[in-house]
Amino acid sequence: MGEDGETRPPSRSLPILSTGDSWGMLACLCTVLWHLPAVPALNRTGDPGPGPSIQKTYDLTRYLEHQLRSLAGTYLNYLGPPFNEPDFNPPRLGAETLPRATVNLDVWRSLNDKLRLTQNYEAYSHLLCYLRGLNRQAATAELRRSLAHFCTSLQGLLGSIAGVMAALGYPLPQPLPGTEPTWAPGPAHSDFLQKMDDFWLLKELQTWLWRSAKDFNRLKKKMQTPAAAVTLHLEAHGF
Amino acid sequence: MALFAVFQTSFLLALLSLRAYQSEVLVEPLPLTPESLNVSIDSAHQYLNLQWSVHSLAYYQELKMLFQIQISRMKTSNVIWVGNYSTVVKRDPVLHWSWKSELPLECATHFVRMRSRVDDAKIPEPRFWSNWSSWKEADAQKSLGRDPLFLFPKDKLVEEGSNVTICYMSRNQQDNISCYLEGQQIHGEQLDSNVSAFKLNKVSFIRKTGTNIFCKVDQKDVIKGIVLFVSKVLEEPKDFSCETQDFKTLTCTWDPGTDTSLPKRSSQSYTLFESFSGKKILCEHKNSCNWQVDSDSQEMYNFTLVAENALGNRSVSVLFSLTHRVHPKTPYNLFLKNVSGTKATVTWKVHPIGNYSTLLCQLDLLGEGNVIQQHNVSIKENGEYLLSELEPDTEYMARVRCADANHFWKWSGSISQKFITAEAAPSEALDVWRNVKSVSGRPTVTLFWKPLSKLHANGKILSYNVTVENLDRPSGLEVHSVPATANGTELTLDQDSYQIHVTALNSAGPSPASVIVVSGDPGNEEVEEERVNGTEDGFSVSWKPQSGKAIGYVVEWCDHPQDLPCDLQWKNLSSNTTSTVISSGAFRPGVRYNFRIYEISTERMAYLLEKKAGYLKELAPSDNPQVVVSNLTSHSFTLSWKDYSTDSQLGFIQGYYVYLRSKAEKECHPGFKKATLPDKSACCQHRIDNPEQKTFVMENLQPESVYEFLVTPYTSAGSGPLDAFTKVTTPDEYSHILIRIILPMIVCVLLIMITCYLKSQWMKEKCYPDIPDPYKSNVLSLIKSKENPHLTIMNVSDCVPDAIEVIHKPEGSKIQFLGASKSLTETEFTKPAYLYLLPAEKNYSGPGPCICFENLTYNEAAADSGSCGHFPVTPEALPGQPGPLTSPENLLKALEKNYMNSLGETAAGEASLNYVSQLASQMSGDKDSLPANPPEPVLCSEYKMQMAIPLGLASPPPAENSGLSSTTPLDQSEHYR
Repeated sequence: MGEDGETRPPSRSLPILSTGDSWGMLACLCTVLWHLPAVPALNRTGDPGPGPSIQKTYDLTRYLEHQLRSLAGTYLNYLGPPFNEPDFNPPRLGAETLPRATVNLDVWRSLNDKLRLTQNYEAYSHLLCYLRGLNRQAATAELRRSLAHFCTSLQGLLGSIAGVMAALGYPLPQPLPGTEPTWAPGPAHSDFLQKMDDFWLLKELQTWLWRSAKDFNRLKKKMQTPAAAVTLHLEAHGF
Repeated sequence: MALFAVFQTSFLLALLSLRAYQSEVLVEPLPLTPESLNVSIDSAHQYLNLQWSVHSLAYYQELKMLFQIQISRMKTSNVIWVGNYSTVVKRDPVLHWSWKSELPLECATHFVRMRSRVDDAKIPEPRFWSNWSSWKEADAQKSLGRDPLFLFPKDKLVEEGSNVTICYMSRNQQDNISCYLEGQQIHGEQLDSNVSAFKLNKVSFIRKTGTNIFCKVDQKDVIKGIVLFVSKVLEEPKDFSCETQDFKTLTCTWDPGTDTSLPKRSSQSYTLFESFSGKKILCEHKNSCNWQVDSDSQEMYNFTLVAENALGNRSVSVLFSLTHRVHPKTPYNLFLKNVSGTKATVTWKVHPIGNYSTLLCQLDLLGEGNVIQQHNVSIKENGEYLLSELEPDTEYMARVRCADANHFWKWSGSISQKFITAEAAPSEALDVWRNVKSVSGRPTVTLFWKPLSKLHANGKILSYNVTVENLDRPSGLEVHSVPATANGTELTLDQDSYQIHVTALNSAGPSPASVIVVSGDPGNEEVEEERVNGTEDGFSVSWKPQSGKAIGYVVEWCDHPQDLPCDLQWKNLSSNTTSTVISSGAFRPGVRYNFRIYEISTERMAYLLEKKAGYLKELAPSDNPQVVVSNLTSHSFTLSWKDYSTDSQLGFIQGYYVYLRSKAEKECHPGFKKATLPDKSACCQHRIDNPEQKTFVMENLQPESVYEFLVTPYTSAGSGPLDAFTKVTTPDEYSHILIRIILPMIVCVLLIMITCYLKSQWMKEKCYPDIPDPYKSNVLSLIKSKENPHLTIMNVSDCVPDAIEVIHKPEGSKIQFLGASKSLTETEFTKPAYLYLLPAEKNYSGPGPCICFENLTYNEAAADSGSCGHFPVTPEALPGQPGPLTSPENLLKALEKNYMNSLGETAAGEASLNYVSQLASQMSGDKDSLPANPPEPVLCSEYKMQMAIPLGLASPPPAENSGLSSTTPLDQSEHYR
C-alpha cells in the first residue's frame, strides 16, 4: 500500500484489542447522550447551524471508537487465534468490497466538504450493512447483543452525518440500484477467509472512525472560523 | 422327496458337464482383468472413487470375484495401501469402490491399480490372479490454480477425539513456510519437496468457531488458513421413557447429553419412530416429544429415538404397554374438615384417567417433617379419609399423591395441607417437689414443678392452680393461681400439716392433680452424710428402705450447688427402687454435689432418708491454706492453718503435705522424706494423713537458719500447688539473753536522756551555771568542812584590787562594764587592752572597758571553758618562768603582741568575759596547746583576787595544766582532788 502512495493505518494496527477504558467510555457516552437531542439529524426543530451538529458528530465518532474497542476484543476472541493476536496483520484478501478508509494524504486534502461527508456517509452505510450480516452469523447471544448495540450506535452516526450534510445543504448520496452490499459469503469462500473478512471489517471500521474524527474535527474548525484559512496537518502515520 | 431327488440328480449331471466344459475352456487363465479403471477424487469427503468393469463373463450370469487394489502416493513404487475387495460380478458390470484418504488428496498425486481373481466356488482350484491393470493417476493439484500456497483440507468437520491430517503445498520450493495451530507454530512431516503434512491426534473441542490453522510464506504477504470444526461427540440419549397422563398423549422424555451444534451447522436432531404403527415424527425439542395416541386400539408401543448430526447418529429404543405407563396428574382440592383434638377428615380430588381406571392414593400424615401415618386409598375421582390418633394441639401436614392402581408406574405430584388439632386438657399430673425451710420461725414451703411436655400439655398452659388444705385443722381450701411462666411458688404455712394439690390449666381444662403433703416439722435432718462416687454416667446413688411403707422415693440435688439459686433438681423413683443413677449435663468435675434421698410415705409426706455427697471427678486442690507460724524458737516453730469451706473443695481432702527445705540442712528430719518439686529442686516432705489435723510442729531446726515451708492439702486427684513457699528464719540461740540485758539498758539510757532534756535548766543550774554562786560551791563546803572552817567568801568590796586586766576594745562605746559578762560575750570587739589597776600606777586612766573578777575556785573551771585555755601566752609566760611576768609592762607587751598576732587568725564575733588572774596567765600559757588550739581573742580580763589559799589548791601542777585543752573534758573529780 505504501507503494501506491497511500498512507498506512497507524502502526498500532489493533489497539481495538485492548480493553477500552470503561470510565472514559461512560463519560463519552454521557456526553453523547447529553448532546444527542441537539444533533440536527435528531432534532430539527431549531436551526442552530451546522457547528453544533458537527461537534456532536465528532463526539459520536469518538464514542464509537471506544465502543468498538470492546466489541472487537470480544469478537476477535470469538474468532480465536491468530485473529485476536496483537501483531496479526493479514493481507486484505477477500475484503475488497469493504470501503477503504486509507487514502493518500494529498487526495484527502483535496477533498471538499461535500465529498468528504459523502464518502463518510457511503462508507458507514456499507459498513453498517456488513456489520448486520456479522450479527446474524454470531453464535452467542451475548455477542449478538453487543453487535446489535453497536449497529444502533452506528446507525446514529449515519443519521448524524446525514444531519450535518442537510445542515450544509448537501444532498444525501443515493444508493445505486442492485448494489446493495451483502455479507453473504460465496460457496468457495472458506471459513478461514470469512474470519479474515470479519477481521478486516472491524479493522476498516476502526480506521474509518479515526478518519471521521479527523474529518469532523477539520470541518468543525472550518465552521468555527470560516474566514480563517485553517490547515489541518495530518501526521504521516495518520492515514 | 422324489421330485427333490430328481432335481438333485439332474443338477449333479449338469455340474459334471460344466466341469468337463471348463476343463476345456479354462486351460488358460480367465481374461477377467479389470478394465476401464477410472479414478476420481471427491475432495469434500476425501475419497478416491474407483470405477472399473470386468468383461468376458459370457458364460456366467454372475461370479464372485476378488479384487486386489494397490494405492501409491507420489510415485507408483510408493505403495501406501493394499487391500482386497470381494464382490459378485454380474454380466457386463461396472464396479465401484471408494477409498478414504487420511492425507488430503490435493496434497499428493495418488496412483491406483488392481487385479482380480475368481473367488467363486463354481470355479475349481487353482485360481489365479489376473494381471495388474495399469496405474491410474489421481491428481487434484492440476485443478488448483497458480496460488503460491495451498492448505488442505478446507474447513473440515470432525468429531472430538478424531485424528486429522493437514497438509500444505507450495508452488515455490524456495519459499520458507511456517504453519500455526491456534497461534502456536507446528512442524510437520515433509512428504515432498513442496508438500508437508501435519497429523493432529485426538483433536479436542476448543470453541464453536473452530480451530484455526494457517500457514504463511515468510517475507511474503501470503497467508492460507483453514478452520477445523471439532464437534462434541454425539451421545446416546439417556433416560428415555414415555408415559401418558390421560391416554390421549404420550410424552417421551430423555436426556440429550452434550449439545453438538456449531455455527452454520445445526445441533443434533431427534426423531421418534414407532415400529408397530410405522409412524415417525421429528421432535421439536431436544429432550422431549409428544406422540398423539390415535385410539384405544394400540396397546403396545415400540419407540426408537434417533439422535443425528452431520457426523453420525445414535439411537435408543423402548417397548411398553400404554396402560403400564400411566402417570396421573397431581391431585387437587385437598381440604381438612372436622378437626378435633385427636381426629381430622381429609378430602381431595383427582383428574380422572379413562373410564375404568382406579387410582391408588397415598395419604401421608407428617409431624415435624416425619411421616407419622401412611394410608392407601383407592378412589375414582374423590378421596376422603378420617385421620385418627392425633395429638391435641399439634401441627400436622396431610400429603396426598396418586398412581395407577392396576399398573404402578409413577406417583403423581404431591399436594399437601397443614393443620393444627384442637387443644385437650393436660393428660398428666405435674411433677412437683418441695423445699421446706424456716423463715422467721415459720415454715416456708417452696414448691417446684417441671413444665409439662408438649405431649402431655395438650395445648398452651394458661396457669397453675395450687390448692392448700390444712390436714390438722379442717378449714377452707386456700387456692393460689400461679402464672404459666412460673415453675414454682412459695407458701408460708404454720406448724400444721398441709396437703397441697397442684394442677396445670389450659383452655380445655385442668390436668390431674399432683398431691404433696408438707409438715411444719422438718423431720430428722441429722442424717450422717455418706460419700458417693461419680462416674462418667453420673452418680450411682443407692439407699436402704426404712419403713417399708414407702410409695416412692425422691432424690434431690442441686445442679449448681455453688450458685444461688442452686437450681434444685429431683428425681422420682418407685417404691421398689433402692438405687438410681443421677446424671445431668450440668455436672462438672471438681464440684461437690450433695444428694438427699427422701422416702415418700403413704400420706405423701417426704422424710429424709440419706444424704450423699460426691464429686463427678475429684480434682487436686487449687489453692493452699493460709498457714500461721507461731512459737518460733531457735530450734522449732509451729505451723497452724484453718479448714476450707466444704463447698470450695475440689475433692475430699484426705490429708496434708508439709514441705520443708533449707539450704543449711541436706538431710531430712525424722518423719520427713525427700521429695522433688516440679522445678526439680529437692525438699523434704511430711505427710499428714488426718485431714482434721491443722497444726504441725517443726522441730530439730538449726538456729539462725532460713527454712522454707509449704502446707498443701491433697485429694485422691493429687495435691495443691507447690509454688508459694514461706520463709522462716530461726533466731540466734543467745539473742534472747542479749535482748534481756540490752533492752533494759537502752530503756534506762533513754529515760535518763529524756529526763536530762526535760530538766536541762535544772541541770544547768546545778552543774554548770553561767554565773557560779560561790556560796553554793562545793569547794567551799569542802574547804570549810575539812581544812579551814573559818574560811568565808570574800566580798568584792572588801578586797583591794592591785591589778586589773582589762581587755580593751576599740569600739569602746559598746563595751559594758560589770555584771554584763554575758552581754559582753556577745559584744564585738577587736582589740583587747590590759590595764593594771594598781593605784600606784600613773598611767591608770579610769575604769577599763571590761573588768573580771577572779575567783580561785573557778580558776580551773574558767580554763575549762575554753577561753582561758586559749589564752594567748608567749613562751616566756610559761609556768615556772615567772620572771618576765612580774613586770606588768612586759607582760602587757607580750600579751599584746601575741594577741595581735593571733587576731588575724581568730574569727571575729566571739567575745566573752573571763576572769583572768596573774596566776592564770602563767598557767594557761601552754605552749604546746597553741598549735592545737588556735589563739582566740582575749575575751575578758580576769581579776585575780588576792587571797591566801594553799598552793596545792591555787596552783595545780603544771604537768596537769599543760595537758589541758579546750576539748578535754574536765572531770570534776580531778578538780576536787
